[in-house]
Amino acid sequence: MLTSREQERYDRQIMIGEIGREGQEKLKRSRVVIAGTGGLGSPIAIYLVAAGIGMIRIIDHDQVVLSNLNRQILHWEEDIGEKKVDSARTKLRKLNSAVEIEAIPETITESNVSTLMDGCEVIVDAMDNLPTRYILNQCAIEKNIPFFHGAVTGFEGRAMTILPGRTACLRCMYRGPVPQEKFPVVGVAPAVIGVIQATEVIKYLLGIGKLLTNRLLIYDGLKISFNEFKVERNPDCDHCGTLMRKD
Amino acid sequence: MAVKVHIHATHRQYTNGLEVVPVEGNTVGQCLSNLVNQFPGMEKALFAKKDKLLNVVEIYINHTTAHPNELSRSVNDGDDIHLLVMLAGG
Repeated sequence: MLTSREQERYDRQIMIGEIGREGQEKLKRSRVVIAGTGGLGSPIAIYLVAAGIGMIRIIDHDQVVLSNLNRQILHWEEDIGEKKVDSARTKLRKLNSAVEIEAIPETITESNVSTLMDGCEVIVDAMDNLPTRYILNQCAIEKNIPFFHGAVTGFEGRAMTILPGRTACLRCMYRGPVPQEKFPVVGVAPAVIGVIQATEVIKYLLGIGKLLTNRLLIYDGLKISFNEFKVERNPDCDHCGTLMRKD
Repeated sequence: MAVKVHIHATHRQYTNGLEVVPVEGNTVGQCLSNLVNQFPGMEKALFAKKDKLLNVVEIYINHTTAHPNELSRSVNDGDDIHLLVMLAGG
């Protein structure tokens, strides 16, 4: 049930036919993991907290440094040296005190990922490296939790939504390891992609709209253009191929 | 077959800034060989070694993934090949 204060707070989105009071109650009951509280994680968390998701677990092992501040808008000058999850939780609670924020200052590894994702309906990829994305992708497949991928470099970004066992996963296009390098980025790129990921999460939780499944969305900020590419499940995928073979 | 190859922004330094390069070939591999003949700098941008694409390179034919075995995929007159680069940042 929504309180009268919640009905007032979310009035403008309850007015949307696809959401309504019932949809708002669904959002309130939802539990979401955001893996990373950097350039992508900041806008994702801000908009999901503003939308009234019931519980959000934010996971990040890093501390805030000066060079984060061009894009990681949950972190400010006064937060330098603080754990990112603590800095993020402080802002998110000020934005919407009704949302439960679980702040976990841990590195996501193959050995702890399953526990870290426990009890959540959605995993949002806000990582800054591919190896951890693949750890999350595999965990999402194994636990049958939808996975919302996003990544950026420079002015460019991409997003795709993965429904385990039903749509192409992040690993379906894997060809081999990629060297980890410091990546260039301007803050508006993760802002655009993060908001797309948050939109996908809201749509999924409400069961509305057309998800970005089997479609890789590419955003070119220099042209302000979006391109879609069709992707397909790979029966030889080492993450989801087994599920496909069981179909 | 006359095919258009769409060059990723980070690779245009090797194609004199061209975003789209017309090439000839019956397969993706032949088209990329033609591209490299026109712009030799593209070889190191796309290939780890002969006939082995870099792991970061993604290839789409007419906006559909060509993975796996991209280089042996056949193409038709008027097809579009997009060369994308996997992104890792966040």
